Amino acid sequence: MKMVRSLEMRPKGYTVMKTRTVEYFIKEAVGSLRRNVLMSLASIATVALSLLILGMFLVMVLNLNNMASNLESQVQISVYLQEGLSDVETREVGTRITKLPGVNQVLFIGKEEAMTRFKQRLGEQQSILKALDDNNPLPNAFEVKMDKPEGVKPVAQAIAQFKGVENAKFGQEVVEQLFALTKMVRIFGVVLIGFLAMAALFIISNTIRLTVFARRKEIGIMKYVGATDWFIRWPFLIEGVILGFGGALVAVALINELYGALIQQVYESLAFLPLIPQYPFITKISIIVLLIGTVIGALGSTISLRKFMQV
Amino acid sequence: MINFYGISKVYDNGCVALSDVTVEIPKGDFVFVVGPSGAGKSTFIKLVFREELPSEGKLIVNGRNVGELQASEVPYLRRNLGIVFQDYRLLPNKTVYENVAFAMQVIEVSNREIKKRVSQVLDLVGLRHKEKCCPWELSGGEQQRIAIARAIVNNPAVVIADEPTGNLDPETSWEIMKIFSRINKGGTTVLMVTHDKTVVDAMKKRVIAIENGKIARDEAKGVYGYED
Repeated sequence: MKMVRSLEMRPKGYTVMKTRTVEYFIKEAVGSLRRNVLMSLASIATVALSLLILGMFLVMVLNLNNMASNLESQVQISVYLQEGLSDVETREVGTRITKLPGVNQVLFIGKEEAMTRFKQRLGEQQSILKALDDNNPLPNAFEVKMDKPEGVKPVAQAIAQFKGVENAKFGQEVVEQLFALTKMVRIFGVVLIGFLAMAALFIISNTIRLTVFARRKEIGIMKYVGATDWFIRWPFLIEGVILGFGGALVAVALINELYGALIQQVYESLAFLPLIPQYPFITKISIIVLLIGTVIGALGSTISLRKFMQV
Repeated sequence: MINFYGISKVYDNGCVALSDVTVEIPKGDFVFVVGPSGAGKSTFIKLVFREELPSEGKLIVNGRNVGELQASEVPYLRRNLGIVFQDYRLLPNKTVYENVAFAMQVIEVSNREIKKRVSQVLDLVGLRHKEKCCPWELSGGEQQRIAIARAIVNNPAVVIADEPTGNLDPETSWEIMKIFSRINKGGTTVLMVTHDKTVVDAMKKRVIAIENGKIARDEAKGVYGYED
């Protein structure tokens, strides 16, 4: 008999979805988005804003990390000499450095050479130099190359004690500062992102709750005629995902534009700042942001569905 | 078809709705459930379609132990039960046809089958000519007939009706009862809660009277037996 068949033909966990059913789900989801246009737009805007900030923090942290690891792998120590050192004294400092363990190469960079390099680094911003009135404030220096990055710190510390040495700088100092900065940015970012994600979650679940409320009669009837919970859930889930994904799409577009503009700016005026190139970096960020948006959307609707589904 | 074995239902607030009810309703029966307000009639039928769970006892509906069903199995139980309410519960923004078809759509029946079957049941309740109307264009009796059409469209083994004529005048009530009678003649079990004395007395069907959560009477060709 037909009625018995319908009970037995569909064992637990039977989840093959028909095209017609999927069409129905999407139609329902889009329909209810249209019914609450304002609320839907507000949700998308909130998600977009939250994810924009999240994405920007991600971009910032990854760039700082990138800079830090660039510097960390450097095996170079810059040794700045005191003013007014004689040639003999200068040469003696050089010899002492050469005898230290792990030192590979010692190169003398005179004041003039240093100025030439500085000019090259400044690129188009030569106007800064005019303020110097042809005075060269740069000291004589040694560029010390090491075998391995591990030896850099003790050697630099030893050199700093030498007579006639003003100071000895190496990448790791900057690295440590950068890491400290990254850590701070990260903590701040996580807190902020947490709040924003909560806001996005809240507004999406609220939007879905409105839809659920508007259709509670329909849902009741669906339950009485034997629709499965998942059949009832899907349209709302799709609605939430559309909101989350839509917001993420807006955020991704903005992040891409902003990063493009930032890189342009940096190339023009601060060319020595090692930013990660736009692609495929932003593509990866985009995938992450879109994923997070989708998850927030699905989670938001799940939260508001959980309550009424328990009948 | 529906077997209650020592069923008790105590609500969370301590209110005892049913206590130690044992009754068997075989396939094809037509049963009226009567009794004073608050006697436990509604709980009785809510247990059958598992809107409520029994606190004690064993309840078998269509061969399944309702008390032990997983939440995910409940929809499949309900696909074998057609439920009709006093307030019709039609969807106001859907046409008559769509309201009936909806019950088949949500259990994923093919469009071709939906078309065929919806026309059939609309013929059965005599409202095929109104399939393009919206519920608000129909009288109460007509709306209830649509609700019945929706309840039987998936060929349920049991039709459960909670005061289906409660909002209707006597003449319309009779039309509705005739439809239930016809459904029952097709082999479908009918379980109906009602306060309609005239109907119960005239139909001469099995009557189960519930008072204070217990079965007070169970007569094969019973009467209503109350004065309201």
